[in-house]
Amino acid sequence: MALAPVVRDDFSAPFFDGTADGRLLLRYSPSSGEWSEPSARFCSVTQAADLEWRASSGRGELVSWTIKPGRTKDDVTTPDVVIGIVELEEGPWLSLWLPEVEQSRLSVGAQVVVDFVQPEGSEHLPVARLA
Amino acid sequence: MSIESPRTAIVGLGITEMGKVYGRTAVDFAVEAITSAVADAGLKMSEVDGLYVNPGIKNDTDMRLQSTLGMRNTRVLATMQGFGSSAGQMVQYASLAIESGMADVVVCVYADAPLKEGKRAGAAYPGQARAMVGVGSLPFAAGLKAAPERYAVAARRHMHAYGTTSEQLGAVAVAARQWAQMNPHAQMREPMSLADHQASRMIADPLRLLDCCLVSNGAVAVVVTSAERAASLKQPPVHIWGWGQAHPGYVNRRDSEFGLVTGAAQSGADALKMAGVGVDEIDIRQIYDCFTYTTLITLEDYGFCAKGEGGEFVASGAIAPGGSHPTNTGGGELSSYYMWGMTPLSEAIIQARGQAGERQVEKHDLQMVSGNGGVLDFHSTLILSPHPKGR
Repeated sequence: MALAPVVRDDFSAPFFDGTADGRLLLRYSPSSGEWSEPSARFCSVTQAADLEWRASSGRGELVSWTIKPGRTKDDVTTPDVVIGIVELEEGPWLSLWLPEVEQSRLSVGAQVVVDFVQPEGSEHLPVARLA
Repeated sequence: MSIESPRTAIVGLGITEMGKVYGRTAVDFAVEAITSAVADAGLKMSEVDGLYVNPGIKNDTDMRLQSTLGMRNTRVLATMQGFGSSAGQMVQYASLAIESGMADVVVCVYADAPLKEGKRAGAAYPGQARAMVGVGSLPFAAGLKAAPERYAVAARRHMHAYGTTSEQLGAVAVAARQWAQMNPHAQMREPMSLADHQASRMIADPLRLLDCCLVSNGAVAVVVTSAERAASLKQPPVHIWGWGQAHPGYVNRRDSEFGLVTGAAQSGADALKMAGVGVDEIDIRQIYDCFTYTTLITLEDYGFCAKGEGGEFVASGAIAPGGSHPTNTGGGELSSYYMWGMTPLSEAIIQARGQAGERQVEKHDLQMVSGNGGVLDFHSTLILSPHPKGR
């Protein structure tokens, strides 16, 4: 698996409770009505501090991506790793691994849905799959 | 209060041997570059009363270089971290210190020694060593670890928005190599063609090996003092006409300009305004080129071509030797050496002094020098000239 394990801290505990439950939580500002990425401490539009966790639809589109070619070492070839910037319907961007993606289908604006996987020793982490 | 036109100049330049130079630490390189720069200026170390140290990504050097150098009663001293924008920033803060009377002679230095014998260059900067804790780790955990993949998503965004092609990025690499072939300091002087670029292996699609900068062991130091004092020193002064900084603070959300517009747009405009010149008056561009794409987008944002037309501009031959817009005349970080913002700055000093030999650009009255750090997150600009500018 390409994903590195991630553990929680106090700030991220609600986020990872959500991913374990199959839900993607973002930061939402009631005063501005704007959504921010999960790591935001302030609203990304107004800089208001009244952020709260709120569930995303988990749907979005591809903004950009890169492909890190697989490597062969000791007769073992690792697969290409595709990482994309996904713009969620609510507005925030997430950088996500696209596992087992058909590379010919990658395009700017391609529809994606967020899924979750759990690397060994890790919280459940979001990944993107083409819709 | 604002400084309409600074009255400071760069009077000393020290460049160590560059590249695969093993067995020496970053501190070793820094000491050599500093003493060399001070001697180049015709000054003594005892006359230096200011030191700014850019510690690089590995933090192998810092303000404790003061003790290593035996400096006493230093009047300004700091470790400064603006990543690739640091060199320009250090020169700006040195100028401010001199203008305010805090110091008379300030040395700025960058040193790095990431290359280890027997280890590949790609292992030099494996990506930020970040604990995988919390939501801030998610991009890193997903695989956006080192600079190539992070710049790759920016470059692809530009390619999609404006039709920029890999071949156009290749034109930047080829031009840099053509300049480097005339630079004795350059690590890479073998000829390179566009076909070589296109055949180089993919590092992080769409960026190929020859889209990426080198990795170098070495150091560069510069000496800044007042224009008045500069007039009586050993080297032709390189006068500082203007400067700017811009750090866009990209937010990860809809309508972000990440990959499309950089801090160069604001920083460059501010620097030109301070210098009192237009972009059309710039003779030479020394652009921070960690990747070919960085050169291209910085040229756009500084206004040397229209937004989105950077690809056609570089592919026209404009930035290559003999072109209309000489750029990165020492070969840049792509082909000469990778000393963060000291790479473009050092070449600007050499060109301004008229000491570039075979690669000397005949008209070198005004140069624009960029620094870029993070993933297009931090930007600095300098406008330099061999001629003093009155207030």
